Amino acid sequence: MEEQEIITTLKILIIGESGVGKSSLLLRFTEDTFDPEQAATIGVDFKVKTLTVEGNKTKLAIWDTAGQERFRTLTPSYYRGAQGVILVYDVSSKQSFNKLDAWLNELETFSTKHDMVKMLVGNKIDRANHEVTKDEGLKFARKHHMLFIEASAKTNDGVQCAFEELVEKIIQTPGLWETSSKNLTLSNHGPEGQGQSCYCVL
Amino acid sequence: MESIIQDNVDPIDLKNYEALYNEQSRRGHVNEKTQFDYALCLVRSRYIRDMEKGIALLEDLLRNTKDEMSKRDYLFYIAVGFVRLKEYGRAIEYTEAICKIEPGNRQAKQLESYAKGKMNTDGLIGMAIVGGAVLAVGGIIGATVAAFKKKPKK
Repeated sequence: MEEQEIITTLKILIIGESGVGKSSLLLRFTEDTFDPEQAATIGVDFKVKTLTVEGNKTKLAIWDTAGQERFRTLTPSYYRGAQGVILVYDVSSKQSFNKLDAWLNELETFSTKHDMVKMLVGNKIDRANHEVTKDEGLKFARKHHMLFIEASAKTNDGVQCAFEELVEKIIQTPGLWETSSKNLTLSNHGPEGQGQSCYCVL
Repeated sequence: MESIIQDNVDPIDLKNYEALYNEQSRRGHVNEKTQFDYALCLVRSRYIRDMEKGIALLEDLLRNTKDEMSKRDYLFYIAVGFVRLKEYGRAIEYTEAICKIEPGNRQAKQLESYAKGKMNTDGLIGMAIVGGAVLAVGGIIGATVAAFKKKPKK
C-alpha cells in the first residue's frame, strides 16, 4: 500500500455522564478491546489514531474526559481548540440522557471553535433494558444540529462509524481545520455514497 | 501519556483557582474540592515550586480521606507531579499504590511504564555523561603520559 501523507491533525473530545462508556468507545475504536470492568477515568485520558476518510488521511488526537463530578473543573480546559466532540449517553439510562442539555451548555461555554462538529452517541445498545428510544436520541440530535448514532462498545456496533462520520463532517467544514498538504480530496456526495453500515443522520 | 504529562495549565485557570483557595484559606476553611482543583492546576504548572506545592496539597488530601476513589485520584496526580519533576522513582511508588486500590488500572499502568521508560533513558544519558567524562579524563591522562613519554626522547 502506498504511504499517504497525513493532511491534518484533529482534536476530538469525548464527553458525557460518568459510566456511559466514553473510555470503552475510545478503547474499542483505538485498540479494538473491551473491558467490562473498565475503571472510571482519572481526569483525562489521551489516545492518538490515524483515520482515512474518503481518501484523506487524518491524525486524531482524542481526549477522553472523566465524567465524574469531581473533575468538572479540570476537564473544560481540554475543550479548547477541539474541532469535534462526541457526546455520549447510555440508552439504558434515562438519567444520562436527561443530562445532555447540561453537557451542551458546558460545551457552549468552554469550546473555542463554535462551528465544531458534534456527534451524539447512544451507547450500550447491546443491553436489553432501553430507557431511551432511538427516536428520542434522533430528535435531540436534530434539535441541536448534531450527528447521531446508536452504538455498542461491547459488540463493536457503530463505533468506527461514529468516528468516521464525525471526521468526514469536520473535513467538509471549511475553516474548521488547517492543512499543509495539497492532497485533500473533497467529495460532494452525501450519505448515500458511504458504506451501508453507517446510518448517522444530521 | 506524553500528552497528559506535558499538558500545562492555562495560567488564567491557575490564577482563578488560586484566588478561590486563598479566599477560603483566609476564612479559615478550605473545602476538599477547592483544594483539589487548585492542586490539579499547580501540578500542571510550568514552575517547579508550583508542582511541589500541588503535590503537598494532594498529599494532605490523601491523608484526610477514607474514600478509595478519591485516594486513587490523588495518588494519580501526585504521580503525574513527580513525573513532571523528573522524580520517576517516587512517581512509581504512587502508581503502585493505585494498583493496590484498583488492580489493573490502565491509566496507572501507562503512567508507570512511562516513568520507567524515562528513568531508563535518563539513566542511560547519565551513564553516557559519566562514560564520556571517563573517556575525556582517560584521554587527558593518555595525552599527558604520551607527552611525558615523548619528552625524554627529545
